Amino acid sequence: MRVFVQELVNGLTQGSVYALVALGYSMVYGVLKLLNFAHGDLYMVGAFIGYFVIQWFGGASALAAPVPIVLLAMFLLAGGGVGVLGVVIERFAYRPLRDAPRIAPLITALGVSFLLENTALLFFGGSYRIYNTSSFISFGTGIHIGVLSIDIVRIMVIVLAVVLMVGLRLVVNHTKLGRQMRAVAADREAAEMLGIDVDFTIGATFFLGSALAGISGVMAGLVYNSVWNYMGFTAGLYAFTAAVVGGIGSISGAVLGGLLIGLAQSFITGYVSSTYTDLIVFGILIAVMLVRPRGLLGRVQLQKV
Amino acid sequence: MKGRITVAAVALAALIAAGCGSSSSNTSSTSTSASSGSSGKKCTASIGIEAPITGKVAVLGDEQLAFAKMAVANDNKANGTDITLVQGDTQLTPSLATTVTQQFISNPKIVGVVGPAGSQEVEAVGPLFGRAGLAFISGSATKTTLTNGSNPTFFRVVSRDSVQGPEDANFIIKHFHPKALMIIDDQEAYSQGLVSVMMPIFQKAGIKVDHESVSQSVTDFSSLVAKITPQMTVAVLPWQVAANGEQFGKNLAEQHKKVTIVGTDGLYSPSSFTIPGSYVSSFGPDITAIPADASLVQQAKAAFPKFGTFGPPVYAATHVIDEAIASACKSGTPSRSNVLAAIKSTDEPSSILGQPIKFDSHGDLINAKWFLFHINSAGQYKLVTNS
Repeated sequence: MRVFVQELVNGLTQGSVYALVALGYSMVYGVLKLLNFAHGDLYMVGAFIGYFVIQWFGGASALAAPVPIVLLAMFLLAGGGVGVLGVVIERFAYRPLRDAPRIAPLITALGVSFLLENTALLFFGGSYRIYNTSSFISFGTGIHIGVLSIDIVRIMVIVLAVVLMVGLRLVVNHTKLGRQMRAVAADREAAEMLGIDVDFTIGATFFLGSALAGISGVMAGLVYNSVWNYMGFTAGLYAFTAAVVGGIGSISGAVLGGLLIGLAQSFITGYVSSTYTDLIVFGILIAVMLVRPRGLLGRVQLQKV
Repeated sequence: MKGRITVAAVALAALIAAGCGSSSSNTSSTSTSASSGSSGKKCTASIGIEAPITGKVAVLGDEQLAFAKMAVANDNKANGTDITLVQGDTQLTPSLATTVTQQFISNPKIVGVVGPAGSQEVEAVGPLFGRAGLAFISGSATKTTLTNGSNPTFFRVVSRDSVQGPEDANFIIKHFHPKALMIIDDQEAYSQGLVSVMMPIFQKAGIKVDHESVSQSVTDFSSLVAKITPQMTVAVLPWQVAANGEQFGKNLAEQHKKVTIVGTDGLYSPSSFTIPGSYVSSFGPDITAIPADASLVQQAKAAFPKFGTFGPPVYAATHVIDEAIASACKSGTPSRSNVLAAIKSTDEPSSILGQPIKFDSHGDLINAKWFLFHINSAGQYKLVTNS
């Protein structure tokens, strides 16, 4: 029972991180029909921002401010900074290719991914940077009742992920910007003809999606401690898988897909073998695609004939 | 149409010119020759170094590079040679190691190579070096089968896994008496080689072994740690990425698991792996404890303050090649064949490693040692025993 509960906690934590990154994939795909392969590297940039905020406050062992203030600064700066970076990338790398054949922005996205990874390598070097979370947040703090043992960092990650997902849903469904995003996703030309500022809407979408990736990078740093310039590749791959399994373009689907992938990894490691984790996870992807190509919560695309 | 052909031709010419020009982004040259005197022409040659200068284990690659530069500088001064070090970044991956190796082979000035660092890289590049007749000496590749004859120009200045693996396993059995343990490989040749040597020893001792496998790209081990039962008192991590070992230790602490980590040489990193109570074996000594190395230690601390056990073997390997070049210089011009011959007959009575350097017919260091360190509560590495 203890193992089951622990794997559940592990899976929810991992899945929450994947879900936040997957949301960005889905949102961008929704408005632009573009698979932004650089998205995983935005998560990496967010993780580095979080690391440098810790150093700015004096380092993990000697923070010059209360921990909640430092954490808030990490999330805000990572979210805001990566959000702005996402807008810049959209403006200069993707906007000029909006009406080009689909392969062009896809290749550009790959190029942006390599650019981000190697820029990080140039500026930050190749060594792992360590958050050293346990130096400022004790593992002992958390919920430890019976078989349930979950430390405060994981609780924070899961709760924050839920808050962000709910917040995003509220923005998309109950705000003017959200209506505009949905309109552009449905039909960009028609939205433009109706007076919607498409450039601004797409930019805002990139900002939100990238901010979520940046915040999830900080979460990954806090939970997993290590950040390095290539960390976005693997996380991006799993998040992309999550977005596709859940239904690319669907926000709920991205969340479901992220949690599913996270839980699958955790339980397969715990009850089968860690050797087969990736084999089974990607097997699930193939199975879902064969049975339901649009993803678990994806919608059928209608085409006018 | 004519205009397009002209543009294409110019672009192609520019591409060819760039390719024939300076070296690629993965290699760069560092000249470490001593200041030239006005008398006599110095014997010149180049040594390549293949190290993970960037990537997952960049901290080790930086250390290896620093010690190699030190060796070349000291030997140029002592021998009056003008040896140049050419860097090649392999990121500990066989594919990049192959690319760098081919670049080194096509550079006629390079007469010997230090590295690569990883056993999986040696497996990939050994045949290439063999065909080119170019000697290469590793300061950290320990997989036993590397010196079974398939890499005729390969040498190493460290012990093999057939020493480290059984020594580690027997130490664990003798000191911890575990009823059960978990051993986790990181899906690379080095790690899997050690597991294959250690597991039969544990099983023969009646220990229940849970063998797991995780990729080096995994950075969260919570799910694996959750599988550790109260009977498992030891976790064996023959890993190459010390930061991952550190995270494993933190995951153990998060879940309040009372398990001793025993790592192999890949985990030796005073800056990256400091879990108190852990044990780490290594092929290299702590040179700060060798009196004869006092001046080298001072030099090393200036070049790379937080060095571990990866730097000194590379210093030794570089020194062997430097001496082989100096010896070849006495009778003419150093070439790959005469440098290779000189390396084979190396017979140094002492070295930075605190032992003589002489190779057997397979390229292994004769009487190579193994060292075991314990990490104390302050995160410091203390020697426990050596073979």
